[in-house]
Amino acid sequence: MALLQIAEPGQSPQPHQRKLAVGIDLGTTNSLVAAVRSGVAETLPDLHGEVILPSAVRYHADRTQVGVDAKAAGAADPLNTVVSVKRLMGRGLGDVKQLGEQLPYRFSAGESDMPFIETVQGRKSPVEVSADILKVLRERAEATLGGELVGAVITVPAYFDDAQRQATKDAARLAGLNVLRLLNEPTAAAVAYGLDRQAEGLVAIYDLGGGTFDISILRLSKGVFEVLATGGDSALGGDDFDHAIAGWILAQAGVPVDLDPAAQRAVLQVACDAKERLTDAQAVEVAYGGWRGTLDRATFERLIDPLVARSLKACRRAVRDSGVELEEIGAVVMVGGSTRVPRVREQVAQLFGREPLTDIDPDRVVAIGAALQADTLAGNNRGEDELLLLDVIPLSLGLETMGGLMEKIIPRNTTIPVARAQDFTTYRDGQAAMMIHVLQGERELVADCRSLARFELRGIPPMVAGAAKIRVTFQVDADGLLSVSAREIASGVEASIQVKPSYGLTDHEIAGMLEDSFRSAGSDKAARALREQQVDAARLIEAVESALAADGDRLLDGEERAAIEMQVEALRACLDAADAAAIEQQTRLLSQITDAFAARRMDASVKAALAGRRLNELED
Amino acid sequence: MGVPCHFALFDLKPDFRVDEQQLASRYRELARAVHPDRFADASAQEQRHAVEQSANLNEAYQTLRDPTRRARYLLSLDGAELPLETTVQDPDFLMQQLQWREELEDLQDQADLAGVATFKSRLKQAQHALNDEFAAVWKDAARREEAERLVRRMQFLDKLSHEVRQLEERLDD
Repeated sequence: MALLQIAEPGQSPQPHQRKLAVGIDLGTTNSLVAAVRSGVAETLPDLHGEVILPSAVRYHADRTQVGVDAKAAGAADPLNTVVSVKRLMGRGLGDVKQLGEQLPYRFSAGESDMPFIETVQGRKSPVEVSADILKVLRERAEATLGGELVGAVITVPAYFDDAQRQATKDAARLAGLNVLRLLNEPTAAAVAYGLDRQAEGLVAIYDLGGGTFDISILRLSKGVFEVLATGGDSALGGDDFDHAIAGWILAQAGVPVDLDPAAQRAVLQVACDAKERLTDAQAVEVAYGGWRGTLDRATFERLIDPLVARSLKACRRAVRDSGVELEEIGAVVMVGGSTRVPRVREQVAQLFGREPLTDIDPDRVVAIGAALQADTLAGNNRGEDELLLLDVIPLSLGLETMGGLMEKIIPRNTTIPVARAQDFTTYRDGQAAMMIHVLQGERELVADCRSLARFELRGIPPMVAGAAKIRVTFQVDADGLLSVSAREIASGVEASIQVKPSYGLTDHEIAGMLEDSFRSAGSDKAARALREQQVDAARLIEAVESALAADGDRLLDGEERAAIEMQVEALRACLDAADAAAIEQQTRLLSQITDAFAARRMDASVKAALAGRRLNELED
Repeated sequence: MGVPCHFALFDLKPDFRVDEQQLASRYRELARAVHPDRFADASAQEQRHAVEQSANLNEAYQTLRDPTRRARYLLSLDGAELPLETTVQDPDFLMQQLQWREELEDLQDQADLAGVATFKSRLKQAQHALNDEFAAVWKDAARREEAERLVRRMQFLDKLSHEVRQLEERLDD
C-alpha cells in the first residue's frame, strides 16, 4: 500500500518536483534574471556569459533588438532606441513632460493618457518596451534552466505607486510571465544578504540605482521581514550624476546646452565613463568634441553633493516615519551601481554612523534576493525557516471629498494586505449617484495628488441629504495593488473597480498588444488560449489535491469530500480534450465547490498558529 | 456579529495593558500562517481568503499596538462607537493644549532643534501618564465619561506629536 504523505498546509506533497521560478530585476539602466540552482541563488548569463542586460530596446521595421547592441545604437538611432523606459512606466503624457528631461523620443497619446513612443515599428507604449526586455530574460532563463517557468518575482522600487506597479505587472503579462509577486527592491536586497537569518534588528537599505532612489527601514525578526517605512525619490539616480557631469563638460567646452538627441547621448556617455573611472582614480581626463580637460574628485563631488544630500534627507525622513532613531539602525545595505561612488558610501556611513555592507555586487544583489523569494513562493522550500515579507504601501490612498480635498483612507506605510472602509453620505436631497474619485499622495488638495481612478455608484434610492450611508472599501493586496468598492448600506446597491490608473493601459489596449505579439510570434491565438486554460486547470487540480491530502480528513465530511473529488475528476477528464470553454467551465465549478473548504483551511491555520504558541509558552 | 474581536484573534483577554513584545511575536506567527505569499501556488479562492484574513489580521494588529487606538477600541467593545471629534468641555486640558501649541510655534520660529528634542520627551511622558490614567479607569462603567475624556486627550497628543514630526521635517530643509 502507498504510504500517506503528511504535509503542512500549503505545502506541496511532492517535494522532489522542483518548480522553476526566477527573480527578475527590471532596472532603469540594466536588467538581470536570477534563479536558485542546487541551493544557490545566482544570476543567469546569456550565451556570451554576460549577466547584465542593458535595459535598452531598439526597434527596426522588422525586428527588435534588446540589450548591448541596442544600447550601442542609442547614439546613432536615438528615436528608435528606447532607454531608461522604467522612468516612463505608469506615467501620463503630462507627467513625462513634467519630468523635465530632454527625452529624445516623439510621444503621442493612446486611448488613455499613456504616452506612446513613435518608432519605425509603430507606436510603442512603455509597457510594451518593458515586456520586450522581460521576454529576453524569460527566454534566457528557460534556455538555461531547461523548462517552462511557473512564475517570476519581479522587483520594483519601494517608492513605485499603484500605477507604476500595475504597469510592471501588465508588462510581465505581455511577456508571458506569471507574476508570483512584485517585490520591493530594497527588501530583495536584504533577503540576498541573508539578513533574515539574523535574530533581531533594524536594517536600512540604501538603493541608488540609475534612475531611482529608495530608502527602506526594515525590522527583522526570526524570518519575518517587516518593512517599517519606505521613502525615496523616483526621479533621482546615477543618471542624474551623468547629467550633472555632462552639464559641467558643456559649460567648460563652451557648447550650448540645446543639443540634438545624438549629441546629447554622446556627451552623457562621456560623462558616465568619467564617473565610473573616478571610483578608483582621483582625477580623470575627459574629452568631448574638440575639448579636453580634467575632472577631479573634488569637482565631481561638488557637482553631485546636492543630489546625494537629497538622498540623505529622504533617509532621515524614512527613519522618522518608522518611529525609530538613527542610532538604532544595526546594518546598512548598499544597492545599485551608483553606490560604487566613494562619495556616496562616505556620506551614508557618516549619516548612519557605521560602514555600509557592500560585499555582494550592488548590481546583482536585487536579482539574487528576488530569486530566493521566487524559489520560496513556488513552494520549493516550505518549512519553518521560510521567509515572510511584510510590506507596506508607499503612498497614502484616499478619496476626493467636498471642496477638492483628499480624505486619506489608508495612510502610507500601512502594512499590506489591508482592507479599510469609511462611510460617506449624500449632500443633496434625492441624490441618486455618487462619484468616487480615488487618489494617491500625501497632500491635502486633490490637485496635488495623483488621480488613480474614478467610478460612479448609481441607483441610490431617493433620500434626504445626509440620510444615505455609503460605505467605501479599499483593499490593497500583497503586491500593493488596489481595488475599491462602494455600497449603499440600506439598499445594497454596489459598484466596484479594480483600480486601473487613468493613464495605464486599457484592457482593450492590452488585448490588442497580446494579439499583436501572438501574430508576430507566429503562434495560434486559440492554441495559446487552450494551453493557458489547461495550465490553469492543472494548477488548480494540484492545489486542491494537495489541500485534500493535508486537511481533507480533518475539515470535510464524507459527502463534501466526495463532491470535491468528483469535480476534480470531472475537470481532469476534460483536460486533454481540445475544448477551452469546457475546461474553463469545469475549472470554475471546482473553484466554487472548494470555496468553503478554502475558508476553513484558513481558519484552521490561524488556530494552528495560536496552538503552536501555547505549546511554546508551556515550555518556557 | 461575524467579526471576531481583535483581542480574541491574538488569543488575548480584552485589556488596555498588553505585552507589546508578545503581541508582536503572535502577530508574526499569525501572519506567517495566513499571508498570501503562503498561497502563491494555491487556488484563486484560497488566495482571496488569504488576502482577507491578512487584511483583518493587519487591521487588528495596528489597532492593538497603538495605545490610543487600543483605548478607543476597548471603549467601543461595550458601548457606542466613540465619536472622533466632539466639543466636550475640558477647560483644563484646553488651556494646556494652547500652551503646548504656543511652545511649538516658538520652537519653529527659533528653529530650535535641541528644544524640539526636549519637547518630544516631555510629550512622551505626558502620553505615558495618560495611558496610566486610562488603564485605571476604563473597566469601570461608572467612569465611562472620564475614560472617554482621556481618549480624546490621547488623540490630541497623538496629533501634536505628528505636528512635531512635521516641524522636524521642515527644520531639516
